[in-house]
This record gives sequence, C-alpha cells and structure tokens, in this order.
Amino acid sequence: MRLFDIMKDWQRIGQRVRVLLMFVVLLSLFFIANANAAEVDLTPGDTIGPHNWQRVKDMVGENMLSRIKRGYTFQIKAPTRYQPPREYIEATKKYSGAVKLGPKGELLNHVAGLPFPNIDPGDPQAGQKVAWNFYWRWQGDDFKGGGGTATGQMIRYAIEKDGAERRADFYSYFLFPHTRVSLDPKPAIPGYEHVDSIQLRVDSYPRDSSGASTLEYRYSDPNRPDDLYLYIPSLRRVRRLTTTQRCQTLAPSEFNLDDIDFFRGKITDFNYKLAGEKKVLTNYAQEHVPYNRKKGDYLPADEKWEVHEVYVLEITPKDPNYCYPKKVLWIDKVAWETTWGMTWDRRGDYWKEMMLFRIPGKLDDGQVVWQQGTGYIVNVQNGRSTVISASRKFNMGLSPTLFTFDTMQTINR
Amino acid sequence: MSIRKIMSVLLAIPLIHLATILPAFGQAAESPAWQSFLRERVKFGGFVENATGLSIAAGDSQFSTSNRFIMNRFTIQPEFNVDFAEQVKFFISWRFAKEPRYSKEAKDRKNNVPPLQPLKNTYYDEDSFKPWEMVIDVKPTDRFKFRWGRQFISWGETDGLRLLDVINPQNGSFPPPLAPNLFNLDETRVPNWGFRAFYTIAPLTNTTLEFIAMPGFDEKKKRVDESAPLAGRWAPHPEDRLPIGRLFADPIPGNAPVVIPLITRVYPDAGDNWKIGARITHTFGQLSTGIGYIWGYNPQAADMVVKKIGDPFLLGPPGPGTPTGVRLQLMNDRTSIYAAHFNYALDEPWSTAIRGEFAFYPSKPYNISKYPGSTGLKAGPHPKYSDTDIIEKNTLRYAFGFDRPTLIPFLHPDDPWRAFNLSLQIFQSIIFDHEDGIRSFASAKKINKVSTSITFRIGTGYLGDTIIPDVFLAYDPQGYWSANPAISYVPPWSEKLRITLTAAIYGGHNKYGSLGLFSEKDSVFLKMRYQF
Repeated sequence: MRLFDIMKDWQRIGQRVRVLLMFVVLLSLFFIANANAAEVDLTPGDTIGPHNWQRVKDMVGENMLSRIKRGYTFQIKAPTRYQPPREYIEATKKYSGAVKLGPKGELLNHVAGLPFPNIDPGDPQAGQKVAWNFYWRWQGDDFKGGGGTATGQMIRYAIEKDGAERRADFYSYFLFPHTRVSLDPKPAIPGYEHVDSIQLRVDSYPRDSSGASTLEYRYSDPNRPDDLYLYIPSLRRVRRLTTTQRCQTLAPSEFNLDDIDFFRGKITDFNYKLAGEKKVLTNYAQEHVPYNRKKGDYLPADEKWEVHEVYVLEITPKDPNYCYPKKVLWIDKVAWETTWGMTWDRRGDYWKEMMLFRIPGKLDDGQVVWQQGTGYIVNVQNGRSTVISASRKFNMGLSPTLFTFDTMQTINR
Repeated sequence: MSIRKIMSVLLAIPLIHLATILPAFGQAAESPAWQSFLRERVKFGGFVENATGLSIAAGDSQFSTSNRFIMNRFTIQPEFNVDFAEQVKFFISWRFAKEPRYSKEAKDRKNNVPPLQPLKNTYYDEDSFKPWEMVIDVKPTDRFKFRWGRQFISWGETDGLRLLDVINPQNGSFPPPLAPNLFNLDETRVPNWGFRAFYTIAPLTNTTLEFIAMPGFDEKKKRVDESAPLAGRWAPHPEDRLPIGRLFADPIPGNAPVVIPLITRVYPDAGDNWKIGARITHTFGQLSTGIGYIWGYNPQAADMVVKKIGDPFLLGPPGPGTPTGVRLQLMNDRTSIYAAHFNYALDEPWSTAIRGEFAFYPSKPYNISKYPGSTGLKAGPHPKYSDTDIIEKNTLRYAFGFDRPTLIPFLHPDDPWRAFNLSLQIFQSIIFDHEDGIRSFASAKKINKVSTSITFRIGTGYLGDTIIPDVFLAYDPQGYWSANPAISYVPPWSEKLRITLTAAIYGGHNKYGSLGLFSEKDSVFLKMRYQF
C-alpha cells in the first residue's frame, strides 16, 4: 500500500473518529444538561442516596456529597417560603434607594432594612453588596439565641472522629441598635448610631464553664476594631481580648468567633466576589429541634430537604494571615441567610463545611418568620464536627444595660 | 436588735418581694405552671471532687514526717440557679468537704509532738448546711441592680496571685500556695455575706458605679485567714509556731533560750467588721479602666500583723529548762486601699492584652524586729518599737500582665488555630520610708523595700481539648521559684468528667519567700471532678 492510500485511509478513519467524538461530546452535553435539569426536576417525595447522588451534585457541600455517595439517604420536600416581617420590607423600600458603597467597601446612608434589594450579577460590586445584604439581613431588632426553646438554651455537641460526644449549653443576646424597625426607639437607640451590633454570649453547661461569657461590640467605622471581652468564672475577672482571637478555635467545637452565623467577620476586612447563582438543598422547616441523628454523627437522620435559590459568595481576607484564605457562602436569595458555608486552608485543601437548617418562628404580632434550627460544622481534615441547635426569640426589647461588665459578672452563679 | 438580725430582715425583704411577683408560687406544686417553672427556670448543677496529694519529699527543714499522704480532700457542691424573672434571679450552693487523712495525722502528731496539741481531725472539713453561696440578684430599674447574700466579689486583673482581689478572704489552709492548677482562685476564696450594687451610668462605655458592703459575719470561721500567716497548709501545727516568739521578746536571762508565743485572736463583733468599697469603671476606646477604694482590714492573710501584749513571762518555775512565753494577738487592723486597674488590647502585630492593677495602702501596718537579736539569736524585739512591734508605712503594690494567644502550628498538627495562651505577670511592692527589720510575721522573713515577683503561664488544648496541659511558674528574683505543671484529661465521651494530674514544686535557698510561704513540701496531686 502506498503512502497516499494509507493517508487517505487514516483521513477516512479520522473523519469517523471526529464524528464519533462529536457524538460523544453531544451525548455528554446532553447528560450534563440533563443533570442540571435534575436540580429543577427534584420533586417532593424524591429519595436521594448513593444510587442517584449525581442529582444533587453541586447542591450540597463536598463533604455532604461524599456522605451521600457512602450511603446517606434523605427525601426531598416542597420548599418553605417566608418573607421578612413587613416593617423590614417597608424599611427596605424606604431607605434602600439612598444606600451606596464607600471607597473602602463600607456602607453609606444605610438606615434600616436590606441595603441592596436588587442585585445585578454583572455589577462589579455585586459581591460586596451581597455581603452587606447578608450582614443586614432581617434578624429582629434584637434576639436571644436559644430563646426559642423552653429552656432558653442553645445546645452544642462536639463530636470526635470516633463518634464520642460532649455536650455544652449556652445562650446569647444580640442587639442591633441603629437599624431598628420594630422596637422603639426607631431607627436608632440614641448614642448607639455608630454601633452595628452588640453580642453577649454566656456558657451555662457544663458546670465549670457556666458563667463564662464573651461581650462583643461591633462598630460601623471600618477602621475601628471590635471590642471583645471575656469573663472567666474561675478568676471572676473580665478580660479584654485582642481581635486576632476571633480566628482561634473555640475548642472543643470546630467553630471560631467568625464562624458564628457562618460569617461574623467585619465586612470591610474582606474582599467579595459573586461567583454565581444556583439552587441548593437546605431545610427551612426542620421537623425536630434539635434534629434527630445517630449518636456520633452530625447529619440529620430523618429530616427532609428542600430546594432553595442562593447566591454563591466567595470571601477572601484582606489580611494574608487570616485563618481562612477562602470561604464560600451559599446565601439564600429571599432570607439572605447562609445555607451552606465552606472553607479552604492555605494549601487549597477543603477544610470545614457548615450547614444550618431553619425553623418557623412567630413574632409577638403573629407574623411568621424563619429562625435558626440545627446545623453542623465538620472539619474534614481532622474528622471532628460540632452540631448546634440555636433557635431564637426575636424583638425582646433588650436594653443596652444588659451588655455590660456587671452583667457578665452576675449573669450566672 | 443585733446587726445580724437586721441583715436577716434585709435579706428577707427581697425574698418576700420575689415570692409576690412569682405567679408560680401561687400555684399548687403539681400544677402545670409549677412544673413548667421547675423545668424552664430552675437549673441544678454542681460537682463532686476528690483531690489526693502525695509529697515527693518526706519532710523539710521545719518538720519531718514519714507521712507522705498529704491530701485526700473530698468535696460535694450542689448548686441551684433560679430565674424568677428577667429582673430577679437567685443562686444557692452548698459546699461539703471532708479530709479523712487528718484522723491519722492528728494521732501521729499527738504522739510525736507533745505537749502541744494537734489540730482536730475535722479542722479542714466543711459540714455546715449553711449555704456556701446564696445570692439574690434584683434589677429594680434598667440601670440599677444589686446582689445581696453570701457571695464572692472580685476586683482586679491578676491571675494566680491576688492584689486587689482582697474583698473576700482566701482560705489558705488547704491549698498549697501558688498552685492555681490544683485549686484556682475561685476555689480558695471564701464567700462573705454582703451587698453589691451597680449603677450603670453609660452602658456603651461600661461606665458603672459599684458599691460593696460586707458586714463580716463570716470572719469567725477559724480556718480563714488564721492559718495562712503561719505558713499555709501546715501552719496551724506547733512546729511552725516555735521560732516566731523570738521576734517579739528576748528569752528571760537564766532560763532556756527559747521564746514560745501564745497567740490569741480577738474576733471583732459583726458590725465592727465591715468592709466597704466603691469603684467606677469606664472604657476609653481600647482601654478599660477602673478606680476604687476599699475600707476594710487584713486584706490578705499574709498581711496580718500581731501585736505584743504585756511583758514576757516564764512558762514554769525559773530554771535552765524553762522557756519564756510572750502573749501575741493577731490584729484585725483597719486598712484602706486606693485601687486602680486597667485592661488594654493591642491588636496586630502585638496581639497582646495588657492589664494592670495598682493598690496604695496608706499607713499599712507591719511587724518589725531587730536583726540580729541582742541575745545572739537570729532576731529579737526592736528597741524602738518594742511596745507593740508594729510600725505603719505607706505601701504601693502594682502588677502588670501581658496575655498573648500564640499559634504554634507545628505543635498543633490537627488544629493549627488552637492557640497557646501565654501570660506573663509582674508584681511589685514598694514600702515607702522603709526601715530595716520589717518582716513578715508569718515567715519571719525580711520584707525588702522593693519586692518583685514574676509569674508565667502557658496553656493549650489537644485533641479537641481532651488533653489540656497548663504550666504556672512563679519566680522571685531573690532566689525563690515555684512550678505548678498540670495536665488534665477530659474524656471525649463526657463533658462531666475531668481528671487533673498536677505537681506543686518549690525551690530556693530558703523556702520562706515573698512569693508565698513555702513551708510546703514538693507534692503531686491527682484531682478528679465530676460535674452534674
């Protein structure tokens, strides 16, 4: 056979290969398109498990997906929809028009309500705006973390890799003094116009840590660091903490102070990128509080999941020494609550994954809102996890005098 | 009506008030409201603990014994928290402690150290049903709140050693000194009946006016403050009392060259025994501060003085074998303290919290003696002050602390963001117009014009804080040091249990130093606590 003939044969074969390749590509695109369509196609009653984990790929965290592949099974249910309280919606309508970002990414002219109700994904500042929306999402004018339960406590389980568990109870009070829409004085408590939030967190169980409390003042000024205090019952002293302690592990849990509510960092200390929009799995109507789970495991045993639309927000710190070089939040488009949070370490390895369910709560005027249910954080590198149940009571009319050193010294024991 | 009765009535008033505002009290005990109240508003907790100690050395220069079993302290402390309402809370606890080892030791001592009688073997026990703490917190207005009852009140910023934290006495009888990893400050303070009120002037800056008043009901408790001046855990025993008499009196010539003190303590009646204080706190940006004043007495056991009563006398018929006696009285001298404290956070790159305390004692009393003694003994009565052996000097004490959480990732491979907490403290005491011969009654050790102590502490947690190492070190530039290393284990399957292995080790050319009263033997302790 001459060389020319061989080349023609190869050309013919090549054409067949190209056709075959095109067919394979088209088929793949079909499957990929079909897989994406599966998000929409998830219907109440569907069961998700190792046999069809592909249907929820990219709708849950990497670690959760891995658990599904290994056997975790659950059902899909119809999504639960809430609206923020009407006074918050009214404040958003009234004030959001004037809100804008400053040169350092700080929020200007914000009075109350959601700062940026309309997010344009093409806006180069969309990420920053989503971050601010998350920061100023509706959380009441104040709330008690744990206040939604009869005992008024949040419950936390620290779970070791081998399944051993330790419990701790605590509660917290939050006050948002200058964005008030429900409680008088509105919109700001006089003298507190420069304070974004005040938080008092109190340990109550086990006995030796009972009474340990932290007090945090968060200021609007992007250049003013938080004021952070710790009361140590064994010394009966209030100690000042440095803000670098926000990053340290609150052992035995896997949380740090900035992991509270997925992200409690100061907004202006970070860069943000809106990395997309998508549908994810979460649960806004958790059936049992805390959710039932197998001892030693952090996943809910019998809760159903629902599909919600989220923004994907990528957070990188301005400080290169910050603990999380990259954090990604999946932020609900309606409630602006985070449904999932993921962090990576300096090597780029997947590190921690957080997820939180919500439950319905009723305000004093009868409006039904969402509130925190049960969630977890899992450190995929060391295998430890923490489950926390944190239902809230909103608009309690907390006084600024609650957030003082003398409260810390006398609140327990 | 005695002051004690008046105080009881005062305590009853808020309790009655409390009963009237509590709807659940009106319900039958089996009613749903009552059950709901018990479930939601009453919390029960506490702990059971055993601390066992073995001495490394059989004895020391002061006392030699074959008994190495120096502690077996068993404690039960039940506690109730009751939230009657947002404005009214109540807390009560009891502490029961038993140290069975003293039965054996008392017998040994009775045989070995006649004729002075040993302690009763119930000396360290706490068996009273009187509440350990019992406080009611009431917030009548948004800015005013008060706490009334048997309580702890702690001012100051220091750790391990106390400077302004002198409102409650500290029980120095059972814990070894400078061993906060065995018994922390809160476990060694003794609660007092008293009243504490806060008025918040500006909550945002934590500007608060605080007032305290303690009538001193508890001061008759024998173990409190009495034992520590005589040198800590072993103090009440005869061997430590022997040399002290020489500081106050010379032996009567022609008799034995020994002076034995006969120490008495006259307890003031309640009402003569008040401690009163006030302070105001305020925060300036990153700086939190407070200034205050305490009017009280004997702020710390080691600060007590004794007063010589009358002339020395012979303890028997004259002769070469008869020692001299001297009557001494432990004084509850009034003391004023002008106090200040601060806390300042230095952020990056220092990442350090700085704290400090200042305490100025005007005319603080000291015992004074002459060195060497006129009879060739180490010391004797000071000729200038021999009537009482007490002088008064202005004294300034202050402390600075530096707390820095530090990440050492290679020592925490499973959790690089679990910090090591480093804490350095420097204490100094300055006696103005100092005179030679000022010395501690307890230790007979000279007190210099400037005394300095340094402490260092480092602690962290491993494996999800199931393994918790902590080391507390103290150093006196005069050549004394102590070390209190500890390692605790909290099982990953129970938050209720904690087991601590710790050691209390003391060193220096003389075991009596300004850091503490080092009559202690180097010891190891095993402490097991179950919280419920």
